[in-house]
Amino acid sequence: MSVKKKPIHFTTAFEELEQITKWFDSEQQLDLDMGLKKFEQGLELADALKKKLVEVENKVEEIKTKFVT
Amino acid sequence: MSTQVISVGEYLELVNQTLKYIPSATLQVEGEVSDYRVAQGKWVSFDLKDETTEAVLKCFMTTWQLKTPLEDGMRVQVKGYPKVYERFGTFKMNVQDVELVGEGALRRAYELLKKKLETEGLFDISRKRSLTRFPQRIGLITSRDAAAYGDFIRILNNRWGGVHLLFAHVHVQGKEAVGEIVEAFSFFNKLSSEQRPDVLVLTRGGGGLEDLHAFNDEDVARAIYASVIPVVCAVGHERDESLADFVADVRASTPSNAAERVVPSRQDVLYEIETLTRHMESRLSDVIQDYSYVIERATQLIGFILEQQKQRLLRATEGILFATQQWFMRMKTKREAYERILRQVDPKRVLSRGYSLVFSHGTVVKEATQLEVGGEITVQFASSLAEARVLRINGKGQQKLV
Repeated sequence: MSVKKKPIHFTTAFEELEQITKWFDSEQQLDLDMGLKKFEQGLELADALKKKLVEVENKVEEIKTKFVT
Repeated sequence: MSTQVISVGEYLELVNQTLKYIPSATLQVEGEVSDYRVAQGKWVSFDLKDETTEAVLKCFMTTWQLKTPLEDGMRVQVKGYPKVYERFGTFKMNVQDVELVGEGALRRAYELLKKKLETEGLFDISRKRSLTRFPQRIGLITSRDAAAYGDFIRILNNRWGGVHLLFAHVHVQGKEAVGEIVEAFSFFNKLSSEQRPDVLVLTRGGGGLEDLHAFNDEDVARAIYASVIPVVCAVGHERDESLADFVADVRASTPSNAAERVVPSRQDVLYEIETLTRHMESRLSDVIQDYSYVIERATQLIGFILEQQKQRLLRATEGILFATQQWFMRMKTKREAYERILRQVDPKRVLSRGYSLVFSHGTVVKEATQLEVGGEITVQFASSLAEARVLRINGKGQQKLV
């Protein structure tokens, strides 16, 4: 069972990336240091997400419970 | 044979006992419904008529026994026990089960139930929930033998990964179908919040009204309605509809379409990630450009000021140099002029021409009256001196010796 070990949570990481992109749109005068830091963070997230997209497979588990009326 | 007197109650009890000899469990009475009524929301009564012999069977049952909507004119088969009701002296069939006969009756019952559920608000758009964009766990309710199962999983795998699919195998038609589907819904909804799927998918292939009965069943519709987990329903082909479709949060046209509605495609998400990254990159480069423009401007400004200062210094140096030169030239001319004058008034030059200077007591004698007769004087020539004595001044003094 390898379901538990997930290095990143896809939804969270994706939302984080969206947040960062939004930050770049938010302020008029962006702080350069902050921008560089955020950019780096964004790239890391995008990278991790892309990796996750390709490598992960689906897992089918049949419920053992009998559905009797 | 002797006769016996018994009471009405005793007689009717005897009749009812005798009626029990009818093999009711093996009989289904078919006829057309008429005079259908519901009293106090509990008691159902209708007449079952036989068109050919004009026979009428009075029927009675409760609303919770009646699983399908009824209406006058429907053809049905009923199963039940005959009974004479003592209080009213009426013969009736105590109905246990009603089954609709023919596509027409099924269609009508479907329409009636649809209307009822719609009025109750089970189909309201306002209660439709949206699905999570990236589900982690998906509950699939279908038959493992159905083509729908394979279609759903194939499309799911094509589009997306990392999903934990919890599959509940149920019958999607036949007698067990309704109960199993309702149970599956209850199973998923009872799971703890970590175990619970993000979405439930109820699906099967297409079919006629009879095949789809479980998906048009009131209990299934209410199970979907009660589910705390959002439900995607996909029945058969594009044109098929079922009541389950209307109650579900998302109605997919086919099992494959259900997979498309439940998970995004890798390509789309990849494209989106790249778009986000590009956007970030271009904004950052804008920012860098802004800053570098400011720096360039500042550098230019500083350079300009420095150049100005340099020019001033250069001009000042040139000025000083020029002025000094001018001054020097003036000085040179003046000096030469003085030199000439000095040369002209140099007493030695005059002496060399034969003039001489007379000193008395160290000072130059300009007038003879300054002298005394007999006094000593010094006569200076150009290159030598002579000492002398004054004999006469303006003809006066010692006598000239002749």
